[in-house]
Amino acid sequence: MSLSRREFIRNFSIAGGGLTLGFTLNAIAGPTAAGDLQPNAFLRITPQGEIIVQIHKVEMGQGTVTGLVTLIAEELEADPASVRYEMAPVDDAFTDPEYRMQITGGSNAIRVYYRPLRETGAAARAMLLAAASARSGLPTAQLQAERGRITSADGRFAYNYGELAAEAGKLPVPENPPLKAAADFRLIGKLDQRLDTPPKVNGSARFGIDAPLPETLVAVVVRPPVARGAMTGYDDSKARDLPGVHSIVAIDAGVAVVASNYWRARKAAEAVTLQWEAGDSALTDSDAIDAALTDALNGDSFATIRDDGEAPEAAPAQALDAEYSVPFLAHATMEPMNATVDPISREVWVGTQAPDITSSFAALGLGVEADEITVHNQFLGGGFGRRSMPDHVLEAAQVAAAVGKRVKLVWSREDDTQHDFYRPPMKSRLSAGLDQSGQVVSWRHRLAGPSLMQSTVDAMAPAIMPGWIPDFLIDFGAGLAGRKDNSSVEGADELPYAFGHIQVAYRNVETPVPLGFWRSVGHSHTAFVVESFVDELAHAAGVDPVAFRRRYLAADSRHRQVLDRVAELSNWGNAPAGHYQGVAVHESFHTLVAEVVEISMQGNTPKLERAFCAVHCGRAVNPDVVRQQMEGGMVFGLCAALKGEITLRDGAVQQGNFHDYPLLRINEVPEIEVAIIDSDAAPTGVGEPATPPAAPALGNAIFAATGQRLRQLPFKLS
Amino acid sequence: MDRVRLSFELNGQRQELSIESDTPLLWVLRDVLNMNGTKFGCGMGLCGACTVHIDGEPVRSCSMPINAVANRRVTTIEGLAADGKHPLQRAWVAENVPQCGYCQSGQIMSAAALLSKNPDPTDADIDSAMSGNLCRCGTYGRIRKAIKSASKNASKSVAGLAVNSWEPGESAS
Repeated sequence: MSLSRREFIRNFSIAGGGLTLGFTLNAIAGPTAAGDLQPNAFLRITPQGEIIVQIHKVEMGQGTVTGLVTLIAEELEADPASVRYEMAPVDDAFTDPEYRMQITGGSNAIRVYYRPLRETGAAARAMLLAAASARSGLPTAQLQAERGRITSADGRFAYNYGELAAEAGKLPVPENPPLKAAADFRLIGKLDQRLDTPPKVNGSARFGIDAPLPETLVAVVVRPPVARGAMTGYDDSKARDLPGVHSIVAIDAGVAVVASNYWRARKAAEAVTLQWEAGDSALTDSDAIDAALTDALNGDSFATIRDDGEAPEAAPAQALDAEYSVPFLAHATMEPMNATVDPISREVWVGTQAPDITSSFAALGLGVEADEITVHNQFLGGGFGRRSMPDHVLEAAQVAAAVGKRVKLVWSREDDTQHDFYRPPMKSRLSAGLDQSGQVVSWRHRLAGPSLMQSTVDAMAPAIMPGWIPDFLIDFGAGLAGRKDNSSVEGADELPYAFGHIQVAYRNVETPVPLGFWRSVGHSHTAFVVESFVDELAHAAGVDPVAFRRRYLAADSRHRQVLDRVAELSNWGNAPAGHYQGVAVHESFHTLVAEVVEISMQGNTPKLERAFCAVHCGRAVNPDVVRQQMEGGMVFGLCAALKGEITLRDGAVQQGNFHDYPLLRINEVPEIEVAIIDSDAAPTGVGEPATPPAAPALGNAIFAATGQRLRQLPFKLS
Repeated sequence: MDRVRLSFELNGQRQELSIESDTPLLWVLRDVLNMNGTKFGCGMGLCGACTVHIDGEPVRSCSMPINAVANRRVTTIEGLAADGKHPLQRAWVAENVPQCGYCQSGQIMSAAALLSKNPDPTDADIDSAMSGNLCRCGTYGRIRKAIKSASKNASKSVAGLAVNSWEPGESAS
């Protein structure tokens, strides 16, 4: 990959922003097998009739295997269950046109590839029809493609795709193959099963941590507890002779203990002691970071994100001010970080959202070039953004290089919780004015918190940036990325409500804590702040929260459609006795989601009784996958709202495992009902957009139940 | 740590090992026997991803030293049903339960232990049997539905289940 720092920042900064239209899919680099029909890198049909689809947007639960195969199979006229899917290798053909990298994130797979992958299937179908025409002597109008075969209308000819593959493969790939009319879809909008379920119920699904074991050593790392701390020495004398230990080596991250299996490595690691020194930042405690954010909010030097003009000078009839704050959050994927690296063959086995950054990190660790690395991507045991940062691959490569043998490096749950790239904390101050009639005449939102983009540039720099760029330019570039960081303010700037005089401004507060993309990224905190404060305004104006929002949303908007639908679904305003409802609506990744959370109070604790969700995502390619993502995205958001909090003391994360970084359990989640707005518009993403409205809907329900306005996550009732 | 020689039954097959006696069953399964269906999640018995059955009881294999398994009967996800079509596995497919799928071996093993003792569990029974199994993708609602549909189906003939004969082309027509 040859990506300059400037390009990287630009590409990441627009992530999820621009819409890409009309790009062409390319052939895969290198030779293709003779006799195959391969219109581009994504699809291959062999003479044996195998239909093979490359999954370039990794499967981490969000349903890409099913979605991507469906798009091709629909136009190809193939049975999706007969399609073999493979996790795509690193190749320029799989570079995302928006990110300019091979990366899965920003809920963009189906939105960006909806047309190109249908065209891929349609091109192959056209080529197969042309080959069948040449063979049969019949015009293509008298031939049809159906379930993996071309047949003639008169019943005289029938060819399997495999038998036509070689001839079809010699034909030119049509540039604009005709696509099916939506009325003729038999899979899109209709297939209601996932294709990756069978291996996930019998233990045969292979995740990164299940990489081939024979001849593989297992490594664990003992590391300084603090972010950006540096190891200054270690004592492994009590560990070296323990059973199963192969070797103990120092790498950048700490000391790696390499053994015959995980348990032996872990036991030996407990006998290693480490000396280290902390970084030079003063912001090593949560309290200090909190105070720095408050100072920033009280100060100036904000970068203007949106300015619709100053508020009228006359004092509003009613003025509201509020301060909101959210904490650091860990991703807590169920599969801890891990990677397997073979230093001889230069192969990497890992589940990663960023295969090309992975090859760069592996190359760095092995001291070779990135194009010498082969990445075998696997199912991801959860991603949520965490697996876009392959720091664990660099570690595994360094250990493998030192040992000279294939090594599987596995993090403990404690490593995973304490050495994450965290969702940044953020503080917001909001001020709004209402006039005599309760109209919102001004809205001012200031945010202060560390820039995710700046941290990301820093973390990725060693692997992807040209080494000759002087340090001061790197710092300058990262600083530039941090100043108006879209990922820190997204969702706050695109306020959908027709309020007067909207102003949004952001102030970057640097901390030493590594930051990362956490499901829905900036929206994960801006939706909470905006939709809670809108609720405050509704109550101040004495208007029902749904009616209040409707007043400021265009009648034909998608916002109104999902809001009205969720109000209907939840029987808004008519909750059962003892139940209280809260509502929120938010757009992210071009998808609209409105949610109602219904609670009861058990003493001082809210109990989640029921939840409702309406989503507008254009055409739902697989409605049940959409429902899954709404359910799961909501649980993810509710979990953060009730439980999620990472704190630091003396530079170290204080949480370690699921007892002190708890997740919601089956007895704590509500029944969730999902409605999908019927639409024939182009599809938009669903992996992330259900997460942002969950916390404000819950907070608004708590206010309805108790009169307490909770402005800090996670919620703690007094 | 002393090495011990021991044997136990794994999915109906006798296994003999010589291994350090403190090694948890999870790592014997994964790193010694190369049985990867049972997952590592937390190492403290807090998440349930490593759940297996020992003599029919659900156990967190990450916290079960191998010497405590000697001469006992272990069942993992690979051995739950010979054909991989235990009523719960079928119900899991029918309800589209898994997302990332990582926790699902453990979920299914906990659910199977529940149903073997209590073929018609209430919501409270399900809560109590399943609350030790975490799912970060939030598939809990579907897990509950799948357990209920399997419990109903378990008491009837399983021949009526649609899952076995599912073909996408047909269900989509």
